[in-house]
Amino acid sequence: MSAADLVQYVATGLLVGGVYALMSIGLALIFGVMRVVNFAQGDFMMLGMYLTYYLAVGYHVDPLLGALLALPPFFVAGWLVHRALLARVTGSGDAQRQLDATLILTLGLSLIITNATAMILSPMPRAIRTGYATQAFVLGPILINQARAYAFLMAVLLAGLVYLFLTRTDLGKALRAAADEPEAAGYQGIDVRTMHGVAFGVGVALVAAAGGLLAMYHPIEPTVAVNFIVLMFVAVVLGGLGSIPGAFAGGLLIGLVQAVTLLVLPLQLQNTGVFIAFLLVLYLRPQGLFGRRLRTV
Amino acid sequence: MSPRARGLLPILVVLAVGVLLIFTLQERYHQRVLTLVLLWATMGLAWNIISGYAGQTSFGHQAFFGIGAYGTVLLVLHLGLTPWIGMLVSAAVAVVAAALIGFPTFRLSGIYFALATLAYPLIFRIGMDFLGYQEVAIPMVRDRPGLYMQFTDPRANGLLCLGAFAAALLLSHAIEISRLGYRLRALRENEQAAEAMGVDTFRCKMAAYMLSAAPAAIAGAIYAHVILYVVTPDSTFGVLVIVQTLVVCLVGGIGSLWGPLIGAGLMVPTGEFLDASLGDRLPGIQGVVYGAALVLIMLVAPEGLYWRLRGLLQRGRVEAPSGAPAAVDMPARAAHLAGAAGQALLEVRGVARSFIGVQALDDVSFTVREGDILGIIGPNGAGKTTLFNVLNGFLPPDRGEVRYAGERISGLRPSAVCRLGVGRTFQVVRTFPQLTVLENVMVGAFTRTAAEREARDRAAAALQRFGLWPRAHARPGSLTTLELRLMELARCLATEPRLVLLDEPLAGLGAGSVEAMLGHIRRLPQAGVTVAIIEHTMYALVRLADRLLVLDHGRCLAEGPPADVTREAAVIEAYLGKRWLHRAQGLRA
Amino acid sequence: MLKVSGLSVVHGGLHALEGVSLEVRSGEFVTIVGPNGAGKTTLLKAVSGAVPAADGRIEYQGRDIGRLSAAARARLGIGHVPEGRKVFPSLTVLENLEMGSYRTEAKRRRAEGLESVFALFPILRDRTGQLAGALSGGQQQMLALGRGLMAQPDLLLLDEPSQGLAPRLVETIFEAIAEMRRQRRLTILLVEQRVVEAVELCDRAYVIETGRIVLEGDKATLLEDPRVQRAYLGS
Repeated sequence: MSAADLVQYVATGLLVGGVYALMSIGLALIFGVMRVVNFAQGDFMMLGMYLTYYLAVGYHVDPLLGALLALPPFFVAGWLVHRALLARVTGSGDAQRQLDATLILTLGLSLIITNATAMILSPMPRAIRTGYATQAFVLGPILINQARAYAFLMAVLLAGLVYLFLTRTDLGKALRAAADEPEAAGYQGIDVRTMHGVAFGVGVALVAAAGGLLAMYHPIEPTVAVNFIVLMFVAVVLGGLGSIPGAFAGGLLIGLVQAVTLLVLPLQLQNTGVFIAFLLVLYLRPQGLFGRRLRTV
Repeated sequence: MSPRARGLLPILVVLAVGVLLIFTLQERYHQRVLTLVLLWATMGLAWNIISGYAGQTSFGHQAFFGIGAYGTVLLVLHLGLTPWIGMLVSAAVAVVAAALIGFPTFRLSGIYFALATLAYPLIFRIGMDFLGYQEVAIPMVRDRPGLYMQFTDPRANGLLCLGAFAAALLLSHAIEISRLGYRLRALRENEQAAEAMGVDTFRCKMAAYMLSAAPAAIAGAIYAHVILYVVTPDSTFGVLVIVQTLVVCLVGGIGSLWGPLIGAGLMVPTGEFLDASLGDRLPGIQGVVYGAALVLIMLVAPEGLYWRLRGLLQRGRVEAPSGAPAAVDMPARAAHLAGAAGQALLEVRGVARSFIGVQALDDVSFTVREGDILGIIGPNGAGKTTLFNVLNGFLPPDRGEVRYAGERISGLRPSAVCRLGVGRTFQVVRTFPQLTVLENVMVGAFTRTAAEREARDRAAAALQRFGLWPRAHARPGSLTTLELRLMELARCLATEPRLVLLDEPLAGLGAGSVEAMLGHIRRLPQAGVTVAIIEHTMYALVRLADRLLVLDHGRCLAEGPPADVTREAAVIEAYLGKRWLHRAQGLRA
Repeated sequence: MLKVSGLSVVHGGLHALEGVSLEVRSGEFVTIVGPNGAGKTTLLKAVSGAVPAADGRIEYQGRDIGRLSAAARARLGIGHVPEGRKVFPSLTVLENLEMGSYRTEAKRRRAEGLESVFALFPILRDRTGQLAGALSGGQQQMLALGRGLMAQPDLLLLDEPSQGLAPRLVETIFEAIAEMRRQRRLTILLVEQRVVEAVELCDRAYVIETGRIVLEGDKATLLEDPRVQRAYLGS
């Protein structure tokens, strides 16, 4: 295997990792602000894929644009889910019970979404055909699939926008403040419950957009969520629970780990490397790479 | 009737009903549903041991289910081993797996634990796929199929599942009334308090996890032979297994003996019915219903139906205990004390402890003599509770050592320190809210005895001593502040300590209650218990303590008889500020 | 401006406050002193809404605020500098101050607010880009005070600003508080353990012990009263 092959794997891994990174940022934001692990994150991603698919097939909207169009409706959906369901079980004070309760609640939600989608739309996998999905850029010895490249660029763009939102706008800073110290945030007039709703809405919107980007090169079916939810968890833990830049780096890293695993293991075991990395991080350095110390309970 | 027998009666009744159903249900379909109900109730009971009793929610129990299923089938396939034995072998493998998985994982907390448990079944799934076992059919046995768990008569299957369910029930019941059961519930309610009461929480969690793996494996083994016939990684290690388990336990009532049966009895027939009638037109309807069940139960009744119903039926009625508690031989400590009084019991030498940028304790040294009451005072942030946390074992010191009765205890777990004879109460009372007052104190008593009867008697005697016996069957939530503090003291004393560390036992008490509490504390040395007490209500401590130790900014400022210490300039300055001191001195000059 | 009547609070199963009544008039500087565990922090938290009241009434500018959330009360102009500072550690100094002026009235005057905070605490001006979590205890306290001021509050609650600080820094902080008072004519309710510094700054003071007000009076009276020493040292 030549150096060029290795670079090819790494390049593909990074491109794929970019979309993983966008997915993971959503999960990290939700966890960082609300201390909620959203099991249904993968399912919202799946719904985002379907929305983008229908926009592409029905209205000839390019999936890059479709992914962006997914943002507003999914923000609203996330906000409503928080208001109707999560807000009723958070705020109890007992962190452990709350964690269990929200995990189970979102697991239930995930089941509903996956199965309802399978019921209403057929389980047959679909795909979006774009002109560039089968074409590649040639960069020296390596080939870069155009669909993956555009998805990567859009993912990075969106992630950048999120970063700007969190660091340049009052609302974004308020989200971070509420994540740091909810009690003190309240004293400044920041309504923590509203912040939770915003965080959940943004988190869900981001993962739906990521789904739209993923749909550019990945088959769309109701069961797609389960493969990616684990990757998202690993990315977020790798980066350090609660850290947004960490989750981004984690996503890229997961893409790389997956790609590099393929060098030595068959496709079936692609995620083995990911799971082993997951366990290693949990046991050896649970605070992840960007080790943000969680608020002590 | 003894509590043991009283507990067994409903079990026997339910099993009898089970047998009756097996022999009266006519249709194969109904038999099958009953079989599934029993199987999932068994799996639920298994999960309940670690996630219900111990409160460590595991999202990966399907790993053991799968080990049971695949293990038994592969043993039949490759070794021709009958699943009756193969089942036991797989269960043993599952228990070992639980030990291996639990050992590193229980050191993690909260979200990390949940995520780690998620990873293992995924790994097993991939493993099975990779090893080429994507689809393993159980080889059909023609003659003597019963030897290989291949029954043609569905009633035999029903009895098999009932047997497994019975075993799981009996195991759960045995745990519930054992010392382990009380300890698990204590650590679920408040892990730190449990540690301080002598419960080695790590070992208890490991024990519960290993115990919970065996019935899960057996359920998996039976499921493979009676329902699946062909095992795939998804049907055994897959998410649906844990979802089914969760639904059954959460709807039924987590942490209870009957919850899994109630949940299974409700949800499994519903699921099967929906699948049979609508499954063709609406694939996945079962999943939607299960998901909706999880969401609803979390919103409306997270404790589950069993507890909700029990709460409604028992509304407010708390029986007063009947009769007086049995007399118990309290160890005659006072006599021993007469000889030992004055000897150094606790020696603290040069203890230092810092947190990020803050030196919480700096070169703290003092001695507590047997029979004394030592008061520890100091302004807010002086490091008093940190000191207790170091003495108790919750924090290791950065430097220095702590010796108790001549033995070094710094660095030991709190439960070990407790077993050696050092008790602790907390600034904010830490109760086990779901346990009754009597059961709370029993957790302490279990440090000295393994027998439930004896622990109960000792706890009752302790309650009697503090005048709490009438409240024995109440929940801590309904107690007054004084009663709560007394309960915590009783629980601590049930561990038969020679030294107790009391952290602000007077906080939150009104004047009359303070006097009562002081009276109890004052009597402790006579009963052979030495006391170190942190307090802020100075006027009380001044009258109570033989010696005072003053801490400020982590350092010892003064030590000696109360009258001397409170007049010392440094102390006044620490409490009221330098300028107050100057004024006071200026006024006197 | 603030009137508390018969306030009782139960916290962690214990009666933290029982039947507390006090008053802070517009423009006044009122101090509450008492030993630790007396309920001072709980009192402030009940006023600012972080902790629910079991009984009693809290009136702010004539209005019953008992049902309002902490954020809602903050929007009415109640500022709270919490115990232990509680700055936002992963936000920069500047961002912390900006969050202080989150509410609309304060946001409009943000630039002006920043200038006056920097004038009061010049050390913060040098560190605007630093993460608040990396500051020393004294600097964090200044930041927390500054954050409180950025809200342009009508009533400012200060919870034990001296806690955990070395004596020299305590002096600095109290001087800053005095300066704040001079510059802005704020209404201040200060809770402190250190009696003299706190009482010297105030117009009126209350002494609280085990959840009850045991003494009340103006500055001069309190400093002479031996009961204050007794409440702390029992002698």
